[in-house]
Amino acid sequence: MNINKLLIWGSALAVTGFSIYSLSGYGDEVDYSTQVKPILNRSCIKCHGGVKKQGGFSLLFREEALGKTVSGKPAIIPGDPEHSDFIARLTHKDPEERMPYQAEPLSQEEIDLLIKWVKQGANWGEHWAFTSPEMPSVPNKTFFAGFTDWFSSKWEKNDIDYFVSHKLEKENLKHSAQAEKGTLLRRVCLDLTGLPPTEQQLTDFLNDKSVNAYEKAVDKLLASPQYGERWAGMWLDLARYSDTKGYERDDVRSIWKYRDYVIDAFNQNMPYNQFIKEQLAGDLLPNPTDNQLIATGFHRNTMTNDEGGTDNEEFRTAAVLDRTNTTWEVLQGTTFSCIQCHSHPYDPFRHEDYYKYTAFFNNTRDEDSFGDYPNLRLFAKDDAAKVENIKNWIQKNSSLQKANEYNKFLKTWQPTYNSLTCDEFVKSELSDTKFLGIQNTGSARLKNVDLNGKNQMVIRYMAWKVGGTLSIHLDKIDGPILLATKIDTTKGFQSKLVNFKPINGIHNLYFRATNPALKGSTDYTALFDWFGFLSEFPAKNNPEHDLMQKEFWRLANMSTDVTLIMDENPANLFRKSHVFERGGWTAKGKEVQPDIPALFGGLPKGLPKNRLGLATWIGSEQNPLTARVAVNRFWEQIFGIGLVETMEDFGTQGFTPSNPELLDYLSIKFMKEYNWQPKPLLKEIVMSATYQQDSKVTPEMLEKDPANRFFARGARIRLSAEQVRDQALLVSGVLSNKMYGKSVMPYQPEGIWRIPYSGASWKLSEGEDQFRRALYTYWRRSSPYPSMMTFDGTSREICLARRLRTNTPLQALTTLNDPVYVECARYFAKRIDKEKTDINGQIRKGYYLAMSKEITNDKLLILNNLYQKSLQGFKKKPNDAMKFLGFCPDNTLPKNMADLAAKTMVAMTILNLDEFVMKE
Amino acid sequence: MKIHQEAKKHLIEYETRRHFLKQCTTGIGMMAMGSFLNSCGINNVSADALANAQNPLSPKNSPLLGKAKAVIYIHCAGAPSQLEMFDYKPELQKMDGQPCPQSFLEGKKFAFIRGVPNMLGAQSKFSQVGNSGAWLSDKLPHLQTVADEISFLKAMHTDQFNHAPAQLLMHTGSPRLGRPAMGAWVTYGLGSENQNLPGYVVLASGGQNPDAGKSAWGSGFLPSVYQGVQCRSEGDPVLYITDPEGMSRDLRKSSIEAINKINQKQYEEFHDPETIARISQYEMAFKMQTSVPEVMDIKNEPKYIHEMYGTELGKESFANNCILARKLVENGVRYVQLFDWGWDFHGNVKENSLDFELSNKCRQTDKATAALLQDLKQRGLLEDTLVVWGGEFGRTPMQENREGRPQQYKGRDHHTEAFTVWMAGGGVRKGYTHGETDPIGYAGISGRTSTYDLQATILHTLGFDHEKFTYPFQGRDFRLTDVHGKVIKEVLG
Repeated sequence: MNINKLLIWGSALAVTGFSIYSLSGYGDEVDYSTQVKPILNRSCIKCHGGVKKQGGFSLLFREEALGKTVSGKPAIIPGDPEHSDFIARLTHKDPEERMPYQAEPLSQEEIDLLIKWVKQGANWGEHWAFTSPEMPSVPNKTFFAGFTDWFSSKWEKNDIDYFVSHKLEKENLKHSAQAEKGTLLRRVCLDLTGLPPTEQQLTDFLNDKSVNAYEKAVDKLLASPQYGERWAGMWLDLARYSDTKGYERDDVRSIWKYRDYVIDAFNQNMPYNQFIKEQLAGDLLPNPTDNQLIATGFHRNTMTNDEGGTDNEEFRTAAVLDRTNTTWEVLQGTTFSCIQCHSHPYDPFRHEDYYKYTAFFNNTRDEDSFGDYPNLRLFAKDDAAKVENIKNWIQKNSSLQKANEYNKFLKTWQPTYNSLTCDEFVKSELSDTKFLGIQNTGSARLKNVDLNGKNQMVIRYMAWKVGGTLSIHLDKIDGPILLATKIDTTKGFQSKLVNFKPINGIHNLYFRATNPALKGSTDYTALFDWFGFLSEFPAKNNPEHDLMQKEFWRLANMSTDVTLIMDENPANLFRKSHVFERGGWTAKGKEVQPDIPALFGGLPKGLPKNRLGLATWIGSEQNPLTARVAVNRFWEQIFGIGLVETMEDFGTQGFTPSNPELLDYLSIKFMKEYNWQPKPLLKEIVMSATYQQDSKVTPEMLEKDPANRFFARGARIRLSAEQVRDQALLVSGVLSNKMYGKSVMPYQPEGIWRIPYSGASWKLSEGEDQFRRALYTYWRRSSPYPSMMTFDGTSREICLARRLRTNTPLQALTTLNDPVYVECARYFAKRIDKEKTDINGQIRKGYYLAMSKEITNDKLLILNNLYQKSLQGFKKKPNDAMKFLGFCPDNTLPKNMADLAAKTMVAMTILNLDEFVMKE
Repeated sequence: MKIHQEAKKHLIEYETRRHFLKQCTTGIGMMAMGSFLNSCGINNVSADALANAQNPLSPKNSPLLGKAKAVIYIHCAGAPSQLEMFDYKPELQKMDGQPCPQSFLEGKKFAFIRGVPNMLGAQSKFSQVGNSGAWLSDKLPHLQTVADEISFLKAMHTDQFNHAPAQLLMHTGSPRLGRPAMGAWVTYGLGSENQNLPGYVVLASGGQNPDAGKSAWGSGFLPSVYQGVQCRSEGDPVLYITDPEGMSRDLRKSSIEAINKINQKQYEEFHDPETIARISQYEMAFKMQTSVPEVMDIKNEPKYIHEMYGTELGKESFANNCILARKLVENGVRYVQLFDWGWDFHGNVKENSLDFELSNKCRQTDKATAALLQDLKQRGLLEDTLVVWGGEFGRTPMQENREGRPQQYKGRDHHTEAFTVWMAGGGVRKGYTHGETDPIGYAGISGRTSTYDLQATILHTLGFDHEKFTYPFQGRDFRLTDVHGKVIKEVLG
């Protein structure tokens, strides 16, 4: 016993001793991060920080704080508080001089602390989140814990619980009992798969009396395909995934393949750092697979502006900045966007850091083009095999390099030059600021075209009038002719292949077009989409050459499904990156090279200074934020509140972690023991006693910890928008388990889409596609699916790292009256009507299916009364009953309509209960 | 100041109580159901207090004394031409058809104008009207009769020349997506006087939503309860407000009672305050089901009112939306946003030409706009209702020559340097014109006001200091006007 106690004390001391969060006592060294910085942030930084530097004094960086102010001398003199103005001004008699300016003075305690801090040398420290986590020891866990716990009746089930109970003890709170078995299963099903248990799952679990019944259930859930769908739902918010481009016209975009990639990545338990790497830089991996290219859709989910007259470079730039902001918000939990205009007001990031970081993203091929290029072209199975066949043939008969060039062109149409980058227009312009249009005898210039080794040009264009010709001149409007060709008329955009005599070097090309038939008219001879240049098709003398070339051209020109991907600029199209003065994209300042913020000491040696190097660093153990932010997000999804409540801000303005040791413990375990795989982490969380607690609230808990930050009870939170829909469909027995593919359009009232200049319309999906999981619902940014928005979904125009949960009458109206939910109630009523018992038995059954537990008698009575009242009402008005039951898909009118209508009332009521839309 | 604030607070408390009583005994608030909370054993006071604390839309005081209590904002989406409607420029008339001087083109960027366009004189006649002598287009005969109620801002400017970003800038203070709209800020700051109606209502006419879409009335980073609720002319006025077919009101009432009784049991077991909030939301939903269709139904308005506005029953029309705006404000809605689509007069086709279509758009809107001011006035509502009228930017004094070519019809390109916005009611000065543009109406030369200034002024009339009205998000305090904006003191009465 004594030894045990000693051991407990020993480990507790070890924790405080080594923890970086420990508060040093007043007798010791003052700790900058935990003691000084909070005061500065609260009372000083607003006027003396990244945004304003009143009196030439800033407290953001140490060198600034010790630097000269407008008075000519420094305000802080390390070791000498008596001569430091910073201290003197805190107690100045003149209210105009006394700091903080026109605000409450600091307390004497705080002033003493600052004096001491200056005396000790005004040392700076890092904010906890910017320092690597260190493995804390598990509090109160004895060496023999694993063994002795087996025999004892200890509450703790795994290490999480030791951290939690340690904290609860400090906060004077007590943990709760374990939740009921059915409630627990419903909770864990919703958490891991986004769906409540099916009847079978519930029965199996309740009947399984083995010790590890719960663990078996958890393992099954983690292995089910619905797991990937649930977590993809979370990720798509962060990736701002949408089926449209955004902005005014908000036209259709095809990027659903990315959604399917995310589902698969979660189901395959892909290590999180690999997941990051593929999404940020899949295209830069050696020999990327199609899936790795599809993954780069993550940052192609930025918006494209098709509104006529908009500057493509402005919106390309907006997309690039959004990539920087999103990367920080999602992966690093840091608000980087505010340093777009100035140094960070509170955190140690400089204005320039933002643009260095942005430079990583500034050299991709996307240019706000109408075609949303670059795309990966998705070939059907047969054609995909032919694409592969051509690649192999070229490799065999020529070289790997050539095979790659042709393969890339077939799959992505890259590298090509978007016509919207043309300039020097003469009788020509960018039509609707999208495509180059040249009138008769007009011309335009395309800059910096790499012609080395090329002898074929591919032109994608559209022309209506017979008789056009195009000539391309080198470097001058009347320079030597590179090629001349007839402009054949087309049906819509088509590609044309033209040979030319090879010439090396990088050249400016002048496009000149004529069509005598258009003399005196301002119509275009042609409208151009893009221009591509290829080397000679290989193996000229091979007997299969002609056949292969023909096949290549057929595949290159055929129309396919596509998905948006990233592709890096070739050297001749390299863009320089600049600081934008005060954040405006036209005010270009100093040129910068790609790098991570100075605070992190620059990109580690050996990593390339491109997106791949960046992605590798983000997913490495050297990055102090990535694992913590990820673990915190998984935790928040399960408990409804993060260990750091401000998931989007781990910086000094965010909330401090409620249990920092636990956060670091899980982060390190996630990286080292679980090799960044989410499944074992989630398993550890849901296997903890902390997770399995009952969610009832006592007045004491409500007073001491209303938000449940310390986890003295199980989570009781409203389901997400997706879960609200999916659950209703599943419980009423109509949920389709079909996975993947193009987004679907379930019922939506008329007149929701009223978008200018857009012919798109909501076309109701057929059959089971009406009952797919919410994840597959078509997501239009300017007009998202109404019920999703009512339940706090986001429009996904930009990334929103945390959905706030609201509780509004519009939510009630949705689940009461939205025809989708009315239909669910009808199906649900039919389902319970099949039960061969009396009405009470059927209500019991319905409640059990919905809540995974037995109904209490008082609730049963309330529902029975409703049934009786409804039955009387519908008996008196059989027409109402028929209308209320609506059209039956199976086309047979029920025999006892009043009865079924009354049961539908009961079903609808169950689907609207607080306990149904809540996870308990 | 402190005494003022105190007085204001008491007044609001009194008014809130008055409203509450009104709602409980007569009018819209009177429902068969009564308050469920009061009848189910929860202590009355604490239940009400709890529900109120949980209700983010309960009425609140503004920090300063504001004259306006509600806003009706009429936005003509597409950007109407100030040069045909408000900004009388005889000099421009003289230059009609001449090439635009280089000085206006150098270093400038336009959405569609390329090369050197020609100048375009006004496609309408102007008269001086009212005691104030304001110059107004003859295309606005009805507005001419109420000009003395209005303050015109003739030298407005913006920095966005595409519709969607400019509309976002006008309503959210940022051309990029993700910021809360002004109406969301206002309902966040003031709550709503009527808990049976949404606090922030959006009405659209002209067949399309504005270019910026729902983001123009989004809640951005504010909680989603503050986003605008679009009330529709066809189908349910608010989505899912109508009971399913075949369900009587009586049955609906029974079902909500059953839901709330069971939720009450749930509360007794779990003690989660969220459950109490849900009970009151279901009650409110039930009440809204009557109050929203009631207020959205204009059929029962007297004939003379219909004639005054020029309504078209059963159709989506701007005039109908004007009556609705008045009714909504009358019933305590805080912010009513009207969008009318179809004001983008480029002149590249007949449907958007100044020489043909502008007259139609004016005919569709002029009468109702003037009627709205008169009607508010005769009901004593204009004093504390601020009416704002405008577009997202202005139009060029040059004729558009899209893609460098002359056009068959008369039209103007997007223009950021000058446009007109007007305000009336809500403590705004009457019969006043602020700001002036140069002789051809290209840019403001005095009294220039920005979109931020307008926002600062609107917030001011409601009792907010735009620099202090903030919301913390992503590590900093955000405000509607970002780091800009100055209250236009001259237009305050």
